[in-house]
Amino acid sequence: MGQRHEQRTERQQGTPLLSVRDLTVEFDTDRGPLRAVDGVEFDVEQGETVCLVGESGSGKTVTAETITKLIRMPPGRVVRGVAELDGRDLLSLSERELRRVRGNRIAHVFQDPQHALNHCFTVGWQIREAIQVHEDVSDAAARERTLTLLDQVGIPDATTRYDDYPHEFSGGMKQRIVVAMALAANPDLLIADEPTTALDVTIQAQVLDLLEAVQAEYDMSILLITHDLGVVAELADRVVVLYAGKVMERGSVYEVFDAPAHPYTQVLFDCLPGRGRPLRSIGGRLPDLHDPPPGCRFAARCDYARDECHTGDQPPLYDVEETQTQTASCVYHGPSGDPAVLRDGHSAGESDG
Amino acid sequence: MSTDTPRRRFEDIDWEANHGIAVGRQTAGFLTTLAALAVVFAFDYVREAPLFSPNPLFRDGWDLTQLDWLFVVSLSLFVFYVLVPLATHRRMTAHYWREFRKNRAAVVSLWFLIVVFTLGLVGPLIVSKPQVALTQSYQPPVGLSVDSTVPLSCVGDVVGGRCHGNWQFPLGTTGDGKDILSLVVLGMRVSIRIGLITSFLIISIGATVGTVAAYVGGLVDEVLMRYVDIQQVFPSFLLYLLLIYLFGGSLLMFILVFGLFSWGGTARLVRSAALQRSEDEYVEVARCAGAGTAHVIRRHILPNVSGTVITNLTLLIPGLILFEAGLAFLSLGDPTIPSWGQTIAAGRSDLRTAWWISTVPGVFLFLTILAFNFVGDALRDALDPRSEVE
Amino acid sequence: MRWYVARRLLWAIVATFVILSITWALLYVTEQQALTSIQFQAAVSGGDAEAARAAYEQQRGLDRPLWRQYTDYMTNMATFNWGYSTSRGQPVTAAIADALPYTMMYSVPWTILTVALGLSIGLYSATHQYSRFDYAATFVAFFGYAIPNFWFGIVLLVVFGVHLDMVPIVFDPDAPVFSLANARQLVLPVFVLTTGSIASLTRYTRAEALEYVEATFTKTAKAKGVSERRILLLHVLRPAAVPLSTILVADLLGLFIASSYLVEVVFGIPGLGQLSFKAIQNQDTPLVLATTLVGVFIAVIGNLLQDVAYTVLDPRIDYGDR
Repeated sequence: MGQRHEQRTERQQGTPLLSVRDLTVEFDTDRGPLRAVDGVEFDVEQGETVCLVGESGSGKTVTAETITKLIRMPPGRVVRGVAELDGRDLLSLSERELRRVRGNRIAHVFQDPQHALNHCFTVGWQIREAIQVHEDVSDAAARERTLTLLDQVGIPDATTRYDDYPHEFSGGMKQRIVVAMALAANPDLLIADEPTTALDVTIQAQVLDLLEAVQAEYDMSILLITHDLGVVAELADRVVVLYAGKVMERGSVYEVFDAPAHPYTQVLFDCLPGRGRPLRSIGGRLPDLHDPPPGCRFAARCDYARDECHTGDQPPLYDVEETQTQTASCVYHGPSGDPAVLRDGHSAGESDG
Repeated sequence: MSTDTPRRRFEDIDWEANHGIAVGRQTAGFLTTLAALAVVFAFDYVREAPLFSPNPLFRDGWDLTQLDWLFVVSLSLFVFYVLVPLATHRRMTAHYWREFRKNRAAVVSLWFLIVVFTLGLVGPLIVSKPQVALTQSYQPPVGLSVDSTVPLSCVGDVVGGRCHGNWQFPLGTTGDGKDILSLVVLGMRVSIRIGLITSFLIISIGATVGTVAAYVGGLVDEVLMRYVDIQQVFPSFLLYLLLIYLFGGSLLMFILVFGLFSWGGTARLVRSAALQRSEDEYVEVARCAGAGTAHVIRRHILPNVSGTVITNLTLLIPGLILFEAGLAFLSLGDPTIPSWGQTIAAGRSDLRTAWWISTVPGVFLFLTILAFNFVGDALRDALDPRSEVE
Repeated sequence: MRWYVARRLLWAIVATFVILSITWALLYVTEQQALTSIQFQAAVSGGDAEAARAAYEQQRGLDRPLWRQYTDYMTNMATFNWGYSTSRGQPVTAAIADALPYTMMYSVPWTILTVALGLSIGLYSATHQYSRFDYAATFVAFFGYAIPNFWFGIVLLVVFGVHLDMVPIVFDPDAPVFSLANARQLVLPVFVLTTGSIASLTRYTRAEALEYVEATFTKTAKAKGVSERRILLLHVLRPAAVPLSTILVADLLGLFIASSYLVEVVFGIPGLGQLSFKAIQNQDTPLVLATTLVGVFIAVIGNLLQDVAYTVLDPRIDYGDR
């Protein structure tokens, strides 16, 4: 504990808590290697909430689970890239060193609370394990701390519920327990992978509130993975938009929501009802990740695609004009492009590529 | 990974809708065959003499026993409900073949089983029943030799005091001069009979009881399932021992005992699948559309469990073949049937001098069981939706 | 929970009762058949068929009313009054008590070895799926299952007993239980049985463990920082133990009953299997019946234990009512 606080103060000003650079992950499949994540880069600063947004299959989960190497390897494989926590690359750590990071400094909350808890052990046992894996404390002390945690995440009657099995809790309650378990070792970063998708709408709001509350209390950063833009708007400080394993756009939540710069982000927002624009659905499908076509990943579905969009590599993340932090991987924001084309086409709600 | 294109599974085939005529024909074909068999059976029953008197093709004549009839029925079921659908749904077959082919051991095993099946089916018509001939006893297989004092007289060449094998008996002979090759081929016949007939019994009874229990429900369900409970508790092996002790043993008895008392697992499987399915939406839809219970069962329930049932069978059949061999070895089997176990038992006491007598059928038995296991394992990977990985 | 166990216990008793009734009916049918043939023989040889029938009925107690015969039979069964073995010249229960230790002698090490090896190989295969070890384990498991027990036993006896002279060929029933001599003569039977039974446990353990190795809760445990070994031994094995307990009983028990016959005959071990086998050969009906029923009782008890184990192991099962 103490040691970790030292590390925290030692950290140089300006070094982000988590820094992912050029992360590239492949899976070996029957049809050859599948590149699920390709050159993803983003930072998470101390105390902030970063959202990874994208449709399913865009590589959000793989990105998040590669940071602490939770993906199964094989078939998974980190081709290149680094994921630095306080400047130390996690991907090159040994399994033993990684174990000290998992749970202790980076904790996870998964999508499906129904299956995130082992049905054969009591919830108390499972939370206590999360504590005792990292701290050499007595059973009694760990139990005390578990009860405090259960209380904190809003489980009524924690003392009596301690010895209950997961199936005796509702879905929302289970997710609270999973959160309690993630908090057990007082982590610096909480990675929450669609924590509310499997829950009822009313419960969703409660769990999100809980996340906000514990973030303030524990002074944690949160990396939130979601496809729900409503959640993004509510919690995020910054947004990273992924498509087919590539980062399409990055920026602060205000900038991105105000003026989405990448055509993909624009379409994504158009899918959201109640934004004053006619609802659209995205035509076409994700490109084949076994053998992605050249050029921009989104080109095939993009209304503005030009010839150069179908050749070469994915465009780099160009700074978007008139913004502080927003960048977009689109040629219209590059030196030879005119971003006005996107804005005009977008606000007019027309598409005449 | 979500990039998988949707695939058709064995259980997904619309068994009747798109191919109404084809499958209609299939059922009709099966019923016609059954009817034809019934006529021949009646004819055979009335006529006292064997159906086929000795002739050049069927060397010893061919008096059809109850076992033969059961076998022919099982065989036609196999043809109409396994081979015909596979041939009709080419794309689905091709897909399964691709999946199956990944397991190379299973492909080799499948070929081996096909050879055993074919030989077991037609072999007995070509191979004559091995006769006791003491002058030809203890002949070694081709390419091997044995001290010339072991056989009474050597059919092949005697070189340096050793009797060499001869092509007259490619796999050698037993202690009473029976040709081991013929014994092996006849043993194949016994094995495929055990496999096919018991499968037929297990599938038909298990599927019927399972679906009836699920659909009628209530007291009938309770009684049927409690009966299955008891049956599952009573080991078939002990029941068979008791029955052969009381009534005497035969291959028919063996097949009936193990066929009639091993369907509990299949019935439970079908029942739980049926209960689960009956709550599924599409069954509800089918019901609302006025589909009868029989239709729902045939069209939605059975196809859904077929993968699991078939896989279970490929693992159950080798167990039964082993059982039969074991019982034959204990001379608790049918002494008139030349099964592999019978031959293994016959060569037991000669293992030190004429080791091939036990070993040759032993190896065939071993390979057959091994092949079934490999095929079953590959089928489970290809057919069983529950065990689908990535 | 206690109520649930009581219900299962009651059910086991009912099952036993039904099975006993069935055996009585079978016996009754055969006795009637024997009676007919005795009458027929008496008539053929010019005797009095009626007198022969009466004598036989008198001797077998068939002159009692049917209900009485049934209740007497059931009472005898319940009070362990299982009759007298003519071939062994001792009460059936005594013969069984004599044979039982010999069966235990190889079945206890066999069970321990099968469970220990089957579980560990299966778990290792699951975590190293499609590795060289996995393929080798699969092959060895299949090999062991496919090789006929009795044939393998004979071959091993010839090789290690006759040619290499490392193990005795003839089983010595008087060897002290915990002695080198006894261990030497039990090595081959235990080996043959273990190779035969390890396959199914390995395969099932692999399949079940695979399901949980890929489960979300395993990922949760890993994300907590729990070590691989602890994940395997606690988070994977514990839930896998639920279905595996079923396989242990259903698969191994059946295999055990049949294998014990073959192995005891091949190796000349005077256990229950051989007792039963010899009883069949000697037409010793009370002994055949009793040894068969002992097997059935073992199966009934095994199933009962399995049910109880299931409820103890899986906290999700609601054993309140049902």
